Amino acid sequence: MIVVMKPSASEEDLQRVLERVDVLGLEAHLSPGESHTIIGLVGETARISLNAFEVMPGVERVVRVAEPFKLANREFHPQDTIIQVGNVSIGEKKLVIMAGPCSVESRSQLLETAHAVKEAGAHILRGGAFKPRSSPYSFQGLGEEGLKYLAEAREIYDMPIITEVMAPEEVALVASYADILQIGARNMQNYRLLQAVGKVDKPVFLKRGLSGAIQELLMSAEYVMANGNPNVMLVERGIRTYETYTRNTFDINAIPALKQLSHLPVIGDPSHGTGKWRLVTPIAKAAIAAGADGLMIEVHPRPSEAFSDGAQSLKPKRFQTLMAELRVLAEALGRAL
Amino acid sequence: MIIVMKADSTAAEIGAVIARVQKAGASPHPIYGEERTVVAVVGETRRISPEAFRKMPGVERLTTISAPFKLASRESHADDTTFRVGGYRIGGPEIVIMAGPCSVESRSQLLETAHAVKEAGAHILRGGAFKPRSSPYSFQGLGLKGLEILAEAREIYNMPIITEVMTPDAVAMIAEYADILQIGARNMQNFGLLHAVGRIQRPVLLKRGMMNSMEELLMSAEYILSGGNYQVMLCERGIRTFEKYTRNTFDLNAVPILKQLSHLPVIADPSHATGRWDAVTPMARAAIAAGADGIIVEVHPHPEEALSDGPQSLKPERFADLVRQVKRIAAAMDRTVPDPEPAPTPVLDY
Repeated sequence: MIVVMKPSASEEDLQRVLERVDVLGLEAHLSPGESHTIIGLVGETARISLNAFEVMPGVERVVRVAEPFKLANREFHPQDTIIQVGNVSIGEKKLVIMAGPCSVESRSQLLETAHAVKEAGAHILRGGAFKPRSSPYSFQGLGEEGLKYLAEAREIYDMPIITEVMAPEEVALVASYADILQIGARNMQNYRLLQAVGKVDKPVFLKRGLSGAIQELLMSAEYVMANGNPNVMLVERGIRTYETYTRNTFDINAIPALKQLSHLPVIGDPSHGTGKWRLVTPIAKAAIAAGADGLMIEVHPRPSEAFSDGAQSLKPKRFQTLMAELRVLAEALGRAL
Repeated sequence: MIIVMKADSTAAEIGAVIARVQKAGASPHPIYGEERTVVAVVGETRRISPEAFRKMPGVERLTTISAPFKLASRESHADDTTFRVGGYRIGGPEIVIMAGPCSVESRSQLLETAHAVKEAGAHILRGGAFKPRSSPYSFQGLGLKGLEILAEAREIYNMPIITEVMTPDAVAMIAEYADILQIGARNMQNFGLLHAVGRIQRPVLLKRGMMNSMEELLMSAEYILSGGNYQVMLCERGIRTFEKYTRNTFDLNAVPILKQLSHLPVIADPSHATGRWDAVTPMARAAIAAGADGIIVEVHPHPEEALSDGPQSLKPERFADLVRQVKRIAAAMDRTVPDPEPAPTPVLDY
């Protein structure tokens, strides 16, 4: 349920509404807008009549939100959410590019890649230390050692870092190093994990599950937000379909759909969305043209030697070319890089 | 198999190679490139002895095509295929925009839409006269009358027209009216129909089936090419997945892949790929950014009254905005959207 206040509503009117929200046992989420203040109500709203608020002074209208996601809903929060990470703002006119290797393999590999992506103009460094691999025999990541290398790279290159957290009990550890916590596609519906990252004050990068519907992704964002963390990014990274020529089918429709349904920043991951480095550049451009707020791209100095995702990793030089092409495209869209 | 001729081979030498392929019971498809000619050999190739061809005058080398699609493969035809429809080149650096209603509903509806899309900058007019509807009780199209209305709109607005053909026996009749024949998604593997459009010399827009892989799409193109019609456009229009928020899932990965695997022009259909008018413009931009050679967009002056596909049809003013946005993306991609050819006389008395 949403209470929309009149532009002329006074502070007193607002307080009275908030008091009634409290009396009714609901939770209020305030979203002050340029003309209207919007109060999103979460809780057992089905039993409450619209009338309970409609008659109050300063209230313009009361509407029920049909979708099951509330805090993630654009109706609750009409303005785009902007997430601040260091001196990078995510969700603004300026696009945000996160790049780096799939896995942190060694100190030198990470620093070499960080150097290259920083030079090319990337804003945030990615790298996996805890890796959810399909096979238990595959490289599982360097663990905390990887986190230390990431933290070192952050100091050297002055880039915020993003890395995946796989288990609720590891959230505190990963959060002590990372600037952004990534929830991987396989964990999109790991609800304990979502609750755990909802309780820390680090932004969350929530990847869509391989078979997660758009609404399910938004419900997972709702889990994080309902636990107190409003800073969630939604990530389209390809879904599973019958087409197996590509690793996944990049569901580009999800980008405008998520931007319409939600106020959260939307990021495209063309590396996983295609699984083939040759397709990363055109799909990266398409994601930006579709309205994504940023990209996450896998870059490796020697993809043929990568421990994971070599086939979809760009060499630094190609990444540099992509950045130059994105700059031109961003301008054509009235955005910037 | 591909027989690559020397750069200085003569017409007689090429002719001799072609004749020998025919004699061996296979089908020769000469491809006259800018630098050299290659003869693609398809069909029954088991009786072909590579040695015999290697020794022939003018032959440089023989190669095999690993993909099951041969004539559609970029291996057989390294340059992009381009062809002209009316005054427009398709498959070159220019972006082609096809637009119009899903169905031709009446003369006034079609002319009103044609006028609007032409003004907005569309090059080719679309409109369905024979409609493959999921329900037998839904509007099935105006049939021949619809074709006549389309032909009238072509004259008035100087726009080539594209319309769907559903059965092999209707191909000749529709080809009399249409500049481009559309094979709909549900007919992508209607092999009799593919054979039929392969036998005529008219460009074909081949839509990907909603449950078909890219390789199957290219194999269907191969059916048309092997019949002798080389003017085929591949069209990505969304596939079926578990995601129900949109009518289909726009498989945009297909655009760069088809461009890599094939030399044929690739057209995107953001209307069917999304099923929602509010997603059509961003998806049109994305398709061009991914490298598509053109788009086909449904436009209706009154979508709420449309007899089909209303929810995914753009109003004319929104379509005009789409064209403006596509032009900006095209420029950023070093491509152009040509200005439409002028209509002979501005007729507005519908």
